[in-house]
Amino acid sequence: MSYRVYLSGNEAIAYGLITGGVRFLTGYPGTPSSEILPTAQKLKLRYGFKGFIDWAINEKVALEMAFSSSLCGIKSAVTMKQVGLNVAMDPFVNSAYIGPSAGFVIVVADDPGPYSSQTEQDSRVAAYFAKVPVLDPSSVEEAYLFAKKALEISEEFKIPILLRTTTALSHGKSDFVIPEITIKDEFQPAFKENLKNWDKEVLRLAATPKQRFLLHKALNEKLKTISEKNKIRYFYEGDILILTSGMVFSYLMEIVEEHKLQKKITLGKVDMPYPLKKEDFSKFKKVITIEETAPFIELLLDTEGRRNGIVPSEGELSLEVCEHILAKIGLIPERKSISIPPLKRPSLCPGCGHRIGLFAVKKVFGKKTIYTGDIGCYTLALNFGVTDTVFCMGAGVSFAGAMSKIFRLSDKKRFVVGIVGDSTFLHSGIPPLVDAYHYRFPFLLIILDNKTVAMTGNQKTPAHTKSYEGEPLNSVKIETIVEGIGIDFVKVVDPYDYRKTVKILKEAKKYLSESAKPAVVILRHPCVYTKEGLEKNPKKPVSIIEEKCTGCKYCISEFECPALQWDEEKEKVFIDKTLCINCGCCIFVCPKKAISEV
Amino acid sequence: MKLVILGRGGQGVLFFSKVLAQTAIEEGKSVKTTEIKGMAKKGGVVEVQMKIGEGYSPRIKRGSADLVILLSPDLKAYAKTFGEKHFFFSKKEMEKALKEVPLRYVNIYLLGIFLAKTHIFDIDKAIKVLDEENKKALLKGYNDVQSR
Ligand code: SF4
Ligand code: SF4
Ligand code: SF4
Repeated sequence: MSYRVYLSGNEAIAYGLITGGVRFLTGYPGTPSSEILPTAQKLKLRYGFKGFIDWAINEKVALEMAFSSSLCGIKSAVTMKQVGLNVAMDPFVNSAYIGPSAGFVIVVADDPGPYSSQTEQDSRVAAYFAKVPVLDPSSVEEAYLFAKKALEISEEFKIPILLRTTTALSHGKSDFVIPEITIKDEFQPAFKENLKNWDKEVLRLAATPKQRFLLHKALNEKLKTISEKNKIRYFYEGDILILTSGMVFSYLMEIVEEHKLQKKITLGKVDMPYPLKKEDFSKFKKVITIEETAPFIELLLDTEGRRNGIVPSEGELSLEVCEHILAKIGLIPERKSISIPPLKRPSLCPGCGHRIGLFAVKKVFGKKTIYTGDIGCYTLALNFGVTDTVFCMGAGVSFAGAMSKIFRLSDKKRFVVGIVGDSTFLHSGIPPLVDAYHYRFPFLLIILDNKTVAMTGNQKTPAHTKSYEGEPLNSVKIETIVEGIGIDFVKVVDPYDYRKTVKILKEAKKYLSESAKPAVVILRHPCVYTKEGLEKNPKKPVSIIEEKCTGCKYCISEFECPALQWDEEKEKVFIDKTLCINCGCCIFVCPKKAISEV
Repeated sequence: MKLVILGRGGQGVLFFSKVLAQTAIEEGKSVKTTEIKGMAKKGGVVEVQMKIGEGYSPRIKRGSADLVILLSPDLKAYAKTFGEKHFFFSKKEMEKALKEVPLRYVNIYLLGIFLAKTHIFDIDKAIKVLDEENKKALLKGYNDVQSR
């Protein structure tokens, strides 16, 4: 029996992993990878098998947990976005040498564009660096099939497999047919079997440098065997060979068929870009690789492509860009480019607690203060001048520490305020705060605590008290961590209480001036983007008193609530009631008192 | 067929599109879609590209859409980058929708209007993929057009 499903690339990967036998799955949310794990959780709720599927504190911990679970004989996987793999690089590289004891798959989502990332890095290169084979699916159905295949190869060769996806694939949806899902208890038998060999495994699991050399040698043998079997698949029969992998393959198929290039082009599809052997291309008059985002197959097989300027070196290789590349080599006519009108820039949701909280910070600390931001919704505070730097997870804390020290050493006096979200703080903000306390770096750290990973779709954080299955969990309190480090100025306040927030921030400012030690203020207000958050949010409907509004636009430029809009005719601000959530925060913003409670 | 569905966050563009996709699947066609939500949440642009019965990838080339459906009339310039043929709802239809059904069913009421006016999809198949409340909203919109 089989049936038709309609799934996104991310959902398909979850189906592939779970039906392939994965019973331990963890990861850290990051666009575009975030939907894989929740889909697996839904499957667990539906089919009720033994296993663990939930988020980890960061990608390094996630990879270590999943890998160690595989050492216990349980098929395991871990999910993350591409920059998350940087965080997990140490255990990732190591996992290839040691090798898993049961199937172990690292799912990494790249973001060519980029749409929502700091870099356009190509995880296939990271796989090469770590000597980990990588699969690069070209369609949603392949995402499902390759997830299963990754587990099979991993089991057979006792080697980790990186399953790479990209934004276009992860968020693309398609219908396809899968066999009926039957879930076996894979957990207990696998665990028992593995335990028998435990003592013999110690040499491998706690290898010394001498043994590492042998493990490296064994790894190279495995890679050689895998590469022997890894063959390029050819489509069409032209004398120009275009090599490709991932979603770009599907684009090229469409373009070939649309422009009837079947006799001009041969498409070489690489399912596994690493380890890949050279093949005989002598019958082709030209060999080009079109791939996202690094010249990877191009370098391995020494073809044309990015290095001779045919393929653009940055940006997503969309259908349009692929067409443009084929036009450049004279296969199709150049199409007139279409200019895209700018869309409104993104801003924090109406009523978001971050907005009023950071507005208060700006009020107290002023525009000259240096605001080191971090990765999360609150990066958008950039729009209203409360973020000067955005770098990588946790860097808001390390930047603030070092910069405050630099200013203290220099002859310029500046306040430094670090801004970090709850989940980013737990991910990698704690170690730099320990250093900051130890070295007495004098800055204020604002921790925006909305009890969720809002930016990536409201995943749970360690503050939660219940799992998705309803099991009790210990709730982690951020203030306890901060106090535990030794910091003595730690205050918690709901930023909706504007007056109290301002008062506490003023105290913090005084503390910084007098004590030369770090201070921490936790601004705690639940995210209003979730259903519960919105329902429980306090309601204070407001209106604009037209006679009082001078049209100064201060509320728009300094506060930027999307519901506060400009009326061109009246030259005054009005409230778009379809967007406004009646949070009442803007009352504190208008200097002319033109916004008031109704 | 290549469709693009555009609207603002909070208008139910994703559900509107999901029902279209499921209806096409009910009709036995293959469907590929892509959701582009961007970073803008409430008020930001939500874009769905949909290929029915054709293609290998879920993406649509600019300038190649057979039809662009707009749930928000202020996105016409952006819609043009996908194709010339647009389907949008009149101000009167929008206002009527708000009066006829609760806010959360407005998108499905509008879908009913779309189905009645274009006949691209089979209304009986669309009904099959909906729950009771949504079905009512869909039929209200559909019958409003029929009775005009
Ligand atoms: S999702 Fe939540 S945290 Fe993010 S901007 Fe919206 S309300 Fe704020
Ligand atoms: S509401 Fe207040 S801040 Fe906004 S434009 Fe009018 S006077 Fe200026
Ligand atoms: S009350 Fe003011 S700040 Fe709150 S959502 Fe409405 S317009 Fe925005």
